[in-house]
Amino acid sequence: MKQTNLAKKSVNKQTADLAVKRANVPADLQQKANDFLNSSNVNAKDLKEIVYLLENPDSNAVGVMHVLEVIFRNLLKRKIILAVENKKNKAKAKAQAKESNAKCQILYNKAWSLLLTNLSSTSKEEAGVAIKICMQLIAAEAKHSSSNAWPVERLRSILEALINSEATPTAALAEFAKYTCCLDVLQLTYELLPELAPNSFVDTPNIAFNYLAIINLLDLGKTVLNAKQYHIGPESSFDYEQTRQLLNTAWNGIIAACSGLDEKVHRQVLVVLLERILPHLENPILLTDFLMDSLHQFDGPIALLALQGIFTLMQQQNITYPDVYQKLYNMFYPRMFYNKYKARLFYLADIFLTSTHLPESLVAAFVKRLARLALKSPTEDAIIMIRFICNLLLRHTGLQRLICATGAASAIEIADPYDETEVDPVKAGALKSSLWELLLLQKHAVPDVANAARFITKSLPIVEFDLSSLLEMKECDIFDDEVKKEAKHFTMAHERPTNFGLPQFDVVTKYWDIL
Amino acid sequence: MGAKSKKSNADAVYSKKSVKTSNPFDAAISQTAKRLNPFDVHVNKEKFKILGRICKHDRGLPGVSRAKAHQKRVETLGKQYAVKHKTNKFMDHRIGKHLTGEQLTESVMNARFLAEKLSQVRASNKAEKFNLNDDELLTHRGQTLEEIEKYRDERSDDEELEDEGLDAEFTSTAHFGGGGDAAQDRQAAIEEMISEQKRRKNEIAKDKDEVHDLTEKLDANYKDLLSLVAQATKDEQHEKPPPDAYDKLLKEMIFEPRGSVTDKLIKPEELAKQEAARLEKLENERLRRMKADGEEQETNIQTTHRSADDLDDGYFAAGNDDDADDTLAYDLDGNLGTHLNSKKDYQTGQSDDKSAEDSENEDDGEESNSDSDSEVDNLSDLKESGSESDSEPDHTPQPKTTKIKPQKQKFSETADTSIPYTIKMPKTYEDFTELLVKYTPTQQVTVVERIIKCNHPKLEGVNRENVVKLYAFLLHYIKDMFEDASEQDIGLHFQFVSQLMPQLHDLSHLNSERMSNTLLDLIKEKYAEYRKNHKAYPTLDTLIYFKLVSNLYSTSDFRHPLATPTYIFMQHILSRARVRTRQDIAMGLFIVTIALEFSSRSKRLLPAIFNFLLGIVHMAIAKRHEQLEIVPPFERDGPFSKLLAIPATSETKTLLPQKLQTADLVTHTISLDFKVRALDTTLCLIKQIFDEQMGEHTGACYLAGPFLPLIEHLPVNLYPDHVQQHCAEAKSTLKSVAEQKMKPLAPPDKKPKALRLLEPRFEVVYDDKRRPKMSKQKEERVKLLHKIKREKKGAIREIRRDTAFVQDLKLKQQIRSDKERHEKVKRIYQEASVQQGELNELARSKKRKKF
Repeated sequence: MKQTNLAKKSVNKQTADLAVKRANVPADLQQKANDFLNSSNVNAKDLKEIVYLLENPDSNAVGVMHVLEVIFRNLLKRKIILAVENKKNKAKAKAQAKESNAKCQILYNKAWSLLLTNLSSTSKEEAGVAIKICMQLIAAEAKHSSSNAWPVERLRSILEALINSEATPTAALAEFAKYTCCLDVLQLTYELLPELAPNSFVDTPNIAFNYLAIINLLDLGKTVLNAKQYHIGPESSFDYEQTRQLLNTAWNGIIAACSGLDEKVHRQVLVVLLERILPHLENPILLTDFLMDSLHQFDGPIALLALQGIFTLMQQQNITYPDVYQKLYNMFYPRMFYNKYKARLFYLADIFLTSTHLPESLVAAFVKRLARLALKSPTEDAIIMIRFICNLLLRHTGLQRLICATGAASAIEIADPYDETEVDPVKAGALKSSLWELLLLQKHAVPDVANAARFITKSLPIVEFDLSSLLEMKECDIFDDEVKKEAKHFTMAHERPTNFGLPQFDVVTKYWDIL
Repeated sequence: MGAKSKKSNADAVYSKKSVKTSNPFDAAISQTAKRLNPFDVHVNKEKFKILGRICKHDRGLPGVSRAKAHQKRVETLGKQYAVKHKTNKFMDHRIGKHLTGEQLTESVMNARFLAEKLSQVRASNKAEKFNLNDDELLTHRGQTLEEIEKYRDERSDDEELEDEGLDAEFTSTAHFGGGGDAAQDRQAAIEEMISEQKRRKNEIAKDKDEVHDLTEKLDANYKDLLSLVAQATKDEQHEKPPPDAYDKLLKEMIFEPRGSVTDKLIKPEELAKQEAARLEKLENERLRRMKADGEEQETNIQTTHRSADDLDDGYFAAGNDDDADDTLAYDLDGNLGTHLNSKKDYQTGQSDDKSAEDSENEDDGEESNSDSDSEVDNLSDLKESGSESDSEPDHTPQPKTTKIKPQKQKFSETADTSIPYTIKMPKTYEDFTELLVKYTPTQQVTVVERIIKCNHPKLEGVNRENVVKLYAFLLHYIKDMFEDASEQDIGLHFQFVSQLMPQLHDLSHLNSERMSNTLLDLIKEKYAEYRKNHKAYPTLDTLIYFKLVSNLYSTSDFRHPLATPTYIFMQHILSRARVRTRQDIAMGLFIVTIALEFSSRSKRLLPAIFNFLLGIVHMAIAKRHEQLEIVPPFERDGPFSKLLAIPATSETKTLLPQKLQTADLVTHTISLDFKVRALDTTLCLIKQIFDEQMGEHTGACYLAGPFLPLIEHLPVNLYPDHVQQHCAEAKSTLKSVAEQKMKPLAPPDKKPKALRLLEPRFEVVYDDKRRPKMSKQKEERVKLLHKIKREKKGAIREIRRDTAFVQDLKLKQQIRSDKERHEKVKRIYQEASVQQGELNELARSKKRKKF
C-alpha cells in the first residue's frame, strides 16, 4: 500500500521536481548549459568548465549537479558518451568517435567521482541531490546502453562511497532508501554487499556502522515485494530465494566479524538483525548463542533488543529460556525511561505477561515494580504503566487482592513487605503488599495521570486498555493535548500579590533572596 | 353643519366610552323593595343534604325571573320584530360597530375619527366657502379645544361670548328685501356678507391680542412694583423685636436640612464579616475545583456502619472525619482539643488573620480604583495613598520589611515629580520600551500604573484593547529583561517584576480571558522552543512566566488551562534537562520552589521534584569508590556527578546562613558558598515538602525512602552549623515519613442499595351500581354529552319561548289591527246609518209634502 502510494507520489513529484530544479539552477548556468547542448558539435571545454564548477566550494553545488544531470542525460541519449560496460568495445568506440567524445567520457567519469564525494557532504540537500542524480544517471545509462545491462559498477561505486564515508551520511541514506524499495536495486545491493563488507567491525566502527545502516535500508518485507517496483525497467529479474541466499551470506559475514564490538555497533547489529534479517534467515536457531551473549553481557538497550530476538526465537523456534522473566523483571529500573527503546520494552513485557498461567507472585512483583517506577517516571510513562498495571490486574484476577484487601487485613497498618532490591521476582514478596503507590499517584499533579490512577477506587474496567496507542506518546503530546482542551476558564487567584511572593504559602521568596 | 355633526359624533363616542358614573344612591334599594313577597318565592325542596355541594337553586323567584326574561325579549326580539321588513331603520356603520365598552380602544376611536374627517373633506369641498369658521373645530371628548382652553385661561371671565350671528341690520336688509339698493343681485350680497363677517372676526381677534399684550405688560410691571410695596412695609419690620433663642431654634429647625437619608453605615466588624464570607465562598469554590470529580471517596476509609435504611442525604459525608477525632481532650499545656484539631485551629486562625489583612488591602485597592474613576487629574494623591497603603501593611508579615520600607518611601518621594500624570497608551512595543527606558525601575512601575489608570476599560470602550496590549507589552518587556540578564542587573529586574506584580494582577483581572490566552501563547511558544533541545534549560524569562502563573492563577485546581500545561512543562524540564552549571542548579531549584507553590494547597506531587532534589543531594556527595544510584538527568559518575561536593579542607564553617541569590541564576561557575547554599536550600526544601505537603499522603514513604541513604552519605561535618542542623531536621522528617505504616487497600464500602420506594397507587373505586363503570376518558365524554343534551334542551326551550313571544306580538298586533278595522267599519256603518237616516228624513218630509 505504502509503496504504491509512494510510487504515485513520485509520479506527482516529477513535475514538482522539475520546477525545483529550475529554481535551484542559477540563470547564467542554465544559459551556459543550454548553449552547450544546443551547439551541434560538443564543446568539451565548456563541459569541463561546468564539471569543475562542482569542485569549486563557492559554487552552488546543487544547481551544478542538476545541470550536469541534464547535460549527461542528453549526452547519453546522443550516445556521445557510452556507458561504462562497453569498455570492451572501447576500441571500436574510439574508432567511431571523435576526440571530443573521449574527452567527454573522461569528464563524465570525473563528474561521477565528484558526485560520489558529494554523497558524504555535510549539507543535507547536497547529499540528497547527489545520490538522486547518481541513480538517475544510472537509469539513463542503462536505458541508452546498447545491451540494456545494469550498470552494476556504478552502484558499487555508490555503495563504496556510502560505506567509506567518515560520518554517517544520513541524508544520502535517507534518499537511498527511496531506491532500495526497487527490487532490482535491492537484489544487486545484496549481491554487492558481501564483497564490500569491512574487514573488521571492531577496528573501523564507523564503516561498520555505515555498512549496517545500508543493510537496514534493505527491506525484504512483503509490502516491498508486492509493490514490485523497479528502478530500471520491469524486465530485470528478481528472485526472492536468490536474494535471501545473498542476505544469508551477508549476515554470515557480519556475524563472523562480530565479536567484541563496541556498544553502538552492537546495538545496530541487533537492530538490523531484528528488523531486516531475522525473518529471512535460513537457520535462525544459530543466533541463540549470539543473542544470549548480548543479553547477559550488556544491560539497557542491547539486552532489550537481544530479549526481543530471543522472544522471536521462542515463538518461532521453540527454544526455552528459563530465566527470561527474571531478566525482564530486572530490565525495569528507573534509568530505563531514558533509554531509546523503552516503548519496545513495554511492548515486550505486555506480550510476555499475556499468559494467564504465570504464577501470581511473579506478576505481582511486576505490578509492584511498575507502580514504583510510575512514581519516578516522566508523565507519559506513568500513564502507560498505570494502564499496564490495570491490564495485569484484569488478566490475573487473583492479583486484585493488591487493591481489595479483606476486611480483617485492611484494618492493620503495615510497612510495605515488598522488597524492591530482590532480584528474583518470585521472592520479592509482592503478593503480601498492596498498591499504595497508586493511591499516591492519584495525587499526581498532571490530571491525566491522576485520572488514570483512579481505577483502584472505582470498579475495574471490563476491557483491557489498548497500550499500543500510548506507546507512541511523548511528553510534548501531553502538553499539546492539555493546551488544546476546549473548555477554557482561567480561574484567577483571589488574593492580590503585592510583590514577588504569594500572600499565602509562599515558597519562592522563602528560599530566594529576591526582595 | 360639519362642525355640528362632528361634535355630535364625538359626543356619542365619548358618552359610549366614558364609564357611567351614576349617583351612588341609585344603587341603594329601598326598604320596601328588599322584602320579598312570600307568595312570589318558590322553594325547591332538597331531599338529601349532600356535603360539599353548593346549592344555587334552593329558592327561586318565578315571577321576577319571568318578567326579566320578558323584558329582555322586548328589548331584543321585540325591537327586531318592530323593524322587520322595514327599510328605514337606523344602521350603525362606524368602524368597530360590534365593539362595546372596553373593546373600544383609543386606536379604534382614532380610526373612526379619521374616517369621519375624510368623508367630511370629501363631502364638503363644495360647501367650504359657506363655512364661516375657517378653522375647523377640534374636539376632545366631545368638547371643543376652545372650550377646554377657556377654563384654563384666567382672563376668560371678563370676556363675553361674541355674538356669532349676523347683526340685525344686515338680516333685515338681506332677508326682507326693503332698502333702496335692491339692484344688487343675490350673489354679490352673499359675498359681501361673508367678507364682512370675516373682517369682523379679524377685528375681534386683534382686540383680543392687544388686551392680552397689555395684561402681560401689567403682570411684568407688577414685580417691580412689589419691591416698592415691600419698602413700604419695611418700617414695620424694624419694629419687630430681635428674635430670641427660641425663635432662632425654631427657625433653625424649620430651615436647617435634616440629615439626608443614606445607606446604613456598615460597621467595620460587619465589613470584615462580609469580606470573610466572600473569601470563604471563593475558598470553597477553589476546594471544589481542586478535587477531581469523585475523588472524595478514598479507599480504605473505614466508614461507620451504614444501614440500608439510611437515606443517603450526605449527612455523614461532611462531618465524618472530624467527628471521629473530635474527642474532648487536653494537651500538655492544658489547651482544649486534640493535637490534630489544635493544629488545625491554629492554621485557620492564621489564615483568618491573613484574610483580614487581605480584606483591608483589597478595600484600599477598591477605593483607589473608584477614586481613579472619578478624579483622573488627582493622580498624585492617589499614587501616594494607593501605593503606600497597598504595600505597607503587606510587608509587615515579611521579615524583610525593615530593609525595604525606607527604600520604598524614598522612591515614592522622588519618583512622582518627573512622571507625567496622564500617559497615553503606546502604540507599538518599541514606543513602550522607549517610554520605560527613561525611568528607574520603580518609576517604571509608576508609569505602568498610570497607563493602566488612564486606560481603564471603564473610562472608554477602546481601552479594552489597550489593556490587553499593555499586558502583552509587559510580558514582552519581562522577557526582554530576563532573557539576557547579567549578574549586575538581575536583582533590579527581579525587584521591578516584584513591584509590578500587583499591577499585573489588576490587569489580568480586567480581561482574564484574553490576557490568560496571551500568557498561554507565550508559554506554548517557550515550550516549542524548549522542545527543540530538551537537554538544556530554557531561558530565565520562562521561569518568570511560571512564577507569574503561580501568582496570578488559582494553581490548586485539579485541571487548569494554564497551570496544568505549566506543570507539565516544569516536569519535563526537571526530568530531562541536564544539570551541569551553577545556573542549571539554580534554575532547577527555582522551578522546584515554584512547583511547590503550585501544589501548596492542592498537595499534589510532581515526581520530577523529588528526583531533582535527590540529584542535588547526590551531587553534594564526594564519591570516591562507592557508586550511588541516581536517575538521569543526573549522572552516576564523572565530573558532573560531584558538582556540589566540597573538598574536606575548605573553610566553610564561617559561612552564614544565606538564601539563594538571584545572581546564581545567571552565573556559571560554582563557588564554595553556592555549594553550601544550594545544599542548605535543598535540605530545607526536603523538610518542607515532607512536612507540609507529602507527609499526609499514603505512600509518601516511597518518595522519602530514596533520600535516606544519600543523606547518610553526606559529609555533614564539613558544613557550617546551620546546614548540619537542617540536615538533621530533614533526616528526622524523612525517617518518620519513611517508616510510615499503611493499611492495605480495600475498596470503599459499597453503598447499600436502598429499597425501591414506590409511589402509592390509588385506585378509584365507585360502588355506584346505577352507573356502569367506565374509563376516565369515556366518563368525560359521557359527561360532555350530557351537558350538550341539557344545553340543547335549554336552547330549544328558549327558542320555543321566543316563538311564543313573537306569536304573542303578532297576535296582539292582529288584534289591534282588527280592532281598528272594526272601529272603522263601525264608523262607516254609523255614518252610513246617519246618512240613511237623513235620507229617510228627507224622503219622509217629501212624503209629508205630498200629503
